[in-house]
Amino acid sequence: MTILYDEGQQAIATESRRVLEARVGKDALLPLLETVGEYHRPFWDTAKEQGWTALALPEADGGLGLGLIELGLIAHQAGRGISGAPFLTSSFGAAKAIELFGSDAQKARWLPGLASGETIGAIAFAAGPDALPRQPDATVAGDSLDGTVRGVSAGLAADVAIVFANGPGTPVLALADLANARRAAVPSFDNSRLIADLDLSGLPAETLAVGSAARDAALRILALQAVVTAHEQTGGAEALMEIARDYALTRKAFGQPIGAFQSVKHRIAELYGLVELARANCIHAAAREGAADFITAAAAARLSATEAYDTAARDCIQIHGGIGVTWEIGLHLHMRRARSLAIEQGSSLFWEDVLVDQLAGEAA
Amino acid sequence: MSDLEAWRAKAAEWLVSVAPTFGRDARKGLSEADDLALGRRYQKAKFDAGYAGINWPTEYGGQGLGHLEKVTFDAEEMKHGFPNFYFGISLGMPVPVLMQFGSDKEFVKERVLKALQGEEIWCQLFSEPSGGSDLAGLRTKAEPDGNGWKINGQKVWTSWAHYSDYGVIVVRTDPTVAKHKGLTYFWVDMKAPGVTVRPIKLAGGDSHVNEVFFDDVKITDDHRMSPVGGGFAVAIATLMIERYVATDSAGFGPHLDLFVELAKDVQLNGRPAIEDGRIRQQIARNHAMRAGLDSINVRARLMMQAGMIPGPEGSLNKLVAVRSRQKLSELALDLQGGDAFLFDEHASQKEDWASSWINAPTGRIAGGSDETLLNTIAEKVLGLPQDHRPDKGIPFNQIPA
Repeated sequence: MTILYDEGQQAIATESRRVLEARVGKDALLPLLETVGEYHRPFWDTAKEQGWTALALPEADGGLGLGLIELGLIAHQAGRGISGAPFLTSSFGAAKAIELFGSDAQKARWLPGLASGETIGAIAFAAGPDALPRQPDATVAGDSLDGTVRGVSAGLAADVAIVFANGPGTPVLALADLANARRAAVPSFDNSRLIADLDLSGLPAETLAVGSAARDAALRILALQAVVTAHEQTGGAEALMEIARDYALTRKAFGQPIGAFQSVKHRIAELYGLVELARANCIHAAAREGAADFITAAAAARLSATEAYDTAARDCIQIHGGIGVTWEIGLHLHMRRARSLAIEQGSSLFWEDVLVDQLAGEAA
Repeated sequence: MSDLEAWRAKAAEWLVSVAPTFGRDARKGLSEADDLALGRRYQKAKFDAGYAGINWPTEYGGQGLGHLEKVTFDAEEMKHGFPNFYFGISLGMPVPVLMQFGSDKEFVKERVLKALQGEEIWCQLFSEPSGGSDLAGLRTKAEPDGNGWKINGQKVWTSWAHYSDYGVIVVRTDPTVAKHKGLTYFWVDMKAPGVTVRPIKLAGGDSHVNEVFFDDVKITDDHRMSPVGGGFAVAIATLMIERYVATDSAGFGPHLDLFVELAKDVQLNGRPAIEDGRIRQQIARNHAMRAGLDSINVRARLMMQAGMIPGPEGSLNKLVAVRSRQKLSELALDLQGGDAFLFDEHASQKEDWASSWINAPTGRIAGGSDETLLNTIAEKVLGLPQDHRPDKGIPFNQIPA
């Protein structure tokens, strides 16, 4: 069952939008594209100051006790404004893994910092295109980790990582303190995502779950993150649709606004459809946290939001013509972000399989 | 349980109780005449049970409830395959507009009661051979004739005209003014001299729509439902009446579960088709799309329940659902391979992939084509400009043909 936002939730959306529009802009984001290892600190300072880092974590662990619906609303606004750091999602994923599967000692050690935003978390599950690999690149032997997980978002800044690893004949979900980790920065098309190859060799492994429970736990964490990311993608797609609409109303060709040509106006109307389907799926998925069909709802949200953001990036630039491909106008910030968000937490290829497994009643 | 939930449960229980008499299985093998007769009995049963005219005023035989109850009932009713489509247009648009704009209240009441009980059927005479989306460009004319009017011209795509007793019609009464301004709205007796109805056989084999010819059809002025020259506003009011109808994210085609079952049953490259990436991708994409529409529809219902007006995103359902149903139906036939050729032109579009496929183009054109819906979203929701309209403001009789 989906929901209508209540007044408090609507206020979260309005207020976060106001703050982000005042503090995040393309002038600050463009230089970050050409700098490896930097993120937009004012964005993260804002997230900490506004309590967004604590929003969806339990009060007992230093959080505010709200949930995915509220965090989704923030992520939607962050997506509209092209957020300056990946931590809203990566730290949330790490914190949820510790909250749901960690010991009391692990919770006490990590959750207050993750809730305040002083500690940064990362998720290191993927191997190539597989967000939840049958053969993870990380291994656990005895009490320590080995192997390198490539392309980890937030990996350059993370203090703690949740790792999906090969144990002795069985998968393991492990917590890794990254204080002594070796990390190599990956120069990327979206550098403020702080992508790193994490060399885990020699780090102590703290086990959170083993066997099929490890796999289920990892999928649940990915799904929680996917719902947050889907909101962010939907926000980005919505912003691009509005930018395209505004440009089509002002730019003239052949004696009329280009928005009067059906090839342009229908393209924008199609974007409206993609954005509204993604939004509807996001609201539904956020409201299904903890329900039996949560994975299905999260997958649907993720698929429709990825399609909406990628398509909006493509079409918004196309509608702008030549000015759309310039560095200065910054539409490529959205185009880059649409792709980095499409890959983080598993691409559409991964979520399509997850969704069909759920629908067809097969084991993942 | 909320009042609405209790009402829904009661309605659902009644529908289940009459399903053996009027539902899908009872209709199997019936001729269209027998099916219509069954439909009339079903409509009467609905009236007697208090489920006809749910959101209509009680003075006209309705139940005096809201849109919400109407949409709730329709969603439950849709599950059983009742023969109700003969009355869908009649009770959906012409009869409500008669209640709103008919001048002789006693006559209106008599007609409404007969229509609600399935005794009389009304059709809507809008589209013409020269244009469907461009409604105001219509050419059928009514000229003054004594104290009344004389109608000449042709309408087309008129659903159920061949079974209709009455119709509402928009005609041109003044060709010397701009096209929207020279129209007037009337009701007509479909059995009157000079009215000729010819069924049109559609691509799928069925004949639900008709051409209707008017040759010197004489009507008195009390048939008029708008001011002279004020017909376009009533025509738009007609089309707005059923804005919040029960929708179907399957695009009135088969449920996705049927496709999943098919993909499990069929072997492709020596393994179940459900394991094939191309098939999986389409299942996933279609599910995501349909789930989005379902969520939009549920939220629209929640908004109505809260006394709010649903957002414009509800208009996406027909556009998105029907065209994806068309492609999914093609893929389902691909999966069936040679077995797909066995064709039953009377099979249900909700249960049979070939029937869904061959009738899908109608769904993308009737009641607002995909292109018209995209224009409506672009213009009314996003505020983009209207298309260039060379006929704008020009007297109708000076528009180049």
